Amino acid sequence: MSDRIAGVALALLAAWYGWTAGEYQIDFADVVGPSAFPQVLAVPIGLLGLYIALRPDPSPGWPSGRHLLGQAMAVGLLVGYALLLVPVGFLPSTTVLAGALALLLGARPGPAAASGVMVSLGCYALFAWVLDLPLPPGALFAGPE
Amino acid sequence: MEILPALGQGFGVALEPQNLLLALIGCFAGTVIGALPGIGPTNGIAILIPLAFSLSLSPVAAMILLTSVYYGTMFGGRISSILLNIPGDAPAVMTCLDGYPMARQGRAADALAISAISSFLGGTLATIGLTLSAPLLAQAAIHFGPAEYFALYIMAVVAVSGVGSANPAKMLLSGLVGLALATIGLDPASGVPRYTFDSFELYDGIDFVVAAVGLFAISEFLLFIEQRGSGTEAKRLPVGRIGTAFHRMIYPMVTLRASLLGFIIGVLPGAGATMASFLSYTLEKRISDKEGTFGRGDPRGVAAPEAADNAAAGGNLVPMLTLGIPGSGTTAIMLGMLVTLNIQPGPLLFERQPELVWGLVASLYVSNVILLVLNIPLVGIFARLLTVPPRYLMPVIVVVSFMGVYTVSNSAFDLLLMAAFGVLGYGMRKMGFSLVPMVLGMLLGGPMEQSLRRALQASGGQVSILIASPLSIGLHLTTLGVVVLAIFLEIRRRRRLHRPVAPAEVA
Repeated sequence: MSDRIAGVALALLAAWYGWTAGEYQIDFADVVGPSAFPQVLAVPIGLLGLYIALRPDPSPGWPSGRHLLGQAMAVGLLVGYALLLVPVGFLPSTTVLAGALALLLGARPGPAAASGVMVSLGCYALFAWVLDLPLPPGALFAGPE
Repeated sequence: MEILPALGQGFGVALEPQNLLLALIGCFAGTVIGALPGIGPTNGIAILIPLAFSLSLSPVAAMILLTSVYYGTMFGGRISSILLNIPGDAPAVMTCLDGYPMARQGRAADALAISAISSFLGGTLATIGLTLSAPLLAQAAIHFGPAEYFALYIMAVVAVSGVGSANPAKMLLSGLVGLALATIGLDPASGVPRYTFDSFELYDGIDFVVAAVGLFAISEFLLFIEQRGSGTEAKRLPVGRIGTAFHRMIYPMVTLRASLLGFIIGVLPGAGATMASFLSYTLEKRISDKEGTFGRGDPRGVAAPEAADNAAAGGNLVPMLTLGIPGSGTTAIMLGMLVTLNIQPGPLLFERQPELVWGLVASLYVSNVILLVLNIPLVGIFARLLTVPPRYLMPVIVVVSFMGVYTVSNSAFDLLLMAAFGVLGYGMRKMGFSLVPMVLGMLLGGPMEQSLRRALQASGGQVSILIASPLSIGLHLTTLGVVVLAIFLEIRRRRRLHRPVAPAEVA
C-alpha cells in the first residue's frame, strides 16, 4: 500500500514538475532553454512512479504507538530547535534539545538533564573555542541586535 | 606525468604539519565514528562536511580530513563487531562472525590486532592500486567534451541505481528525483528562477550539504528511535592482552586475496565495502575452511573481511577521482564537498589540480600508518567509548548536525530544510528507496544539464551530437547494459517475491 501511495504521488509530482517547466521561457536565442531538462526528467519519473504504484513491494512495518509518538516528538523538537536556536541562543536551546532527546530515548530525568547541560557546554567549547566558529548567542546574552 | 615524482610531490603536501594534524584528527574521529554502532561512514562524513567548510580549509586539506575519516571508520567498525557482536558500521557485519567468538574465548586483543593489521594491509594495497590505476583512467580526459560528460553523468546515476538487491525502479526514481531537486533555484544559463515558489531562500537552490546531513544523519536518528528497545542490551567483552607473536598475526595470502577482491569491488560503481567484506568472507571460507573452524573464532575469518572493506574504500576513490562519479554514499558526499569548493571533479582533475590529487593519495598512505599506530595500542580507549549508552550519544550527533549546517548557512530555513530531508530520508529508507542515488542526482544534476545544453548549443540543436563519438556511444551502451541487467534482476526478484509457497515451507 505504501508503494501505491508513493508511486501515485511521484507520478502526480512528475506531471506537475514537467507542466511547470513549460512556463520557463526566455526571450533570447538559446537552443535548449531552461524548460527542456525538467521536461525530460518528468517522463521517466512519472513512468517509474506508475510502475511502483501498479507493481508495489510489500509494505514496510511502519511504527505505531509509542515509537511513532517518539518520532513525532523528536521531529517536533528538531523543528522547534531550528526556529528557536537564533532567537534564544545556543546554550539554552541546546541544553533543552539534548536533554529532551535523551529523555525521549529512555534516559531517566536526572541523567537526561545532566547530559543536556554537558552536551551543550561541550559542544559550545568545541565549536566556539576550539574551532572558533560563530554560534548564535541569543537575545538572553547578547541583547537585541 | 610520471607517477613517482608526482607521488613524491604529493607526500610533500601530505606531510605539511597542518595536513598531518588533520589526518591524525580525521583518523581518530573516523575510528570513533566507525566504532560507535549507529553512526556509519556516510553519516560521520555527512556531519563533518559542514565543519570542513566553516573552518575554511583548502580543498586538499578538507579532502585529507574526510578521507582519513573514511579510512578510519573502516578501521573502527571492527571494534564493536569484535567486542559487542554489533557491527559498528555495515561493512563490519562479517567481522562479527569470527571476531566475537574469538573475544569470547579471551582472544579479543588478538582479534583486534589481526584485524588492524589486515585493515592496514588492505588499505595500503588498495592505495597502491589507486596510485597505479587512477592516472591511466584519467588519461581518457582529453577525449571528454560536453556530450561525453553528459553520457558519463547518465551512466553514473544509472549505475549507482541499477544493480543491487533492492528494487531497481525505486533506486532509479531516487536518482531521478535527486536530479529534479537539483533544478531548483536560478537556472545558471538563463537566470530564470525555477521551482522556487517565489521564495528567496530557494533562489540559490537546495544546498547539497543541508540535504546530505538531513538525509543521512537525521534519518538515522529517527530510525534509531524506532529500533530502540528491540535489541537486548549488549555486554562488552574485555580486550585483554595480545597472546600471539606479531609475525603470526599476518595472513599474507588471505589478505592479498581479500584486498584484490575488495579493491575491484570498490572500483565498480554501486558496489561498496559491505559487499566486498561479504564476498571476501564467503570466498575465504570456501578456500580455507577445511576443518570447519570458520564462524567459531578463526582468525582468517577476521582478516579477510577487514582487508576487503579497507581495500574497497580505496577502490571507491578511483572512479571518484578519475571520472568524478562516486560509487558509494561516502564518496558521493566527498564529491559534493569538492563541487561546493568550486572544484570540478572528473577526468581533468589530475591535470588541473595535481597537487590536490597527489596530496590526497599520499595522505592515504600516511593515514593508513597513523591508523595502524592508533589502533593497536589505543584500542582500549576506543573500546571504553562503546560503553557510553547511545541515548546520550545520539543527541550529540543531532546537535553536531545542526551546528554544522548552521555554521555554513546561518539560516533557520536551512535548519528546517535539513529536518525535512531527515523525515524524507527516513521514509525512503523504510520503503527501500536508497539515499545514495538521490544524493548523487542532486550533485550531478547541475553539471548534467549544463553539459547537455552546451552540447546541443554547439550542434545547433542536433540531438545526434550526443552519440557522435565512440566514447559517448560506449558510455551510453554501458548505461543500456546496466538498465537491461536491472530489468532482468527485477524480473527475477519479482518471481521470487510472488513464488507460491510450497506446503512444506509453510509447515
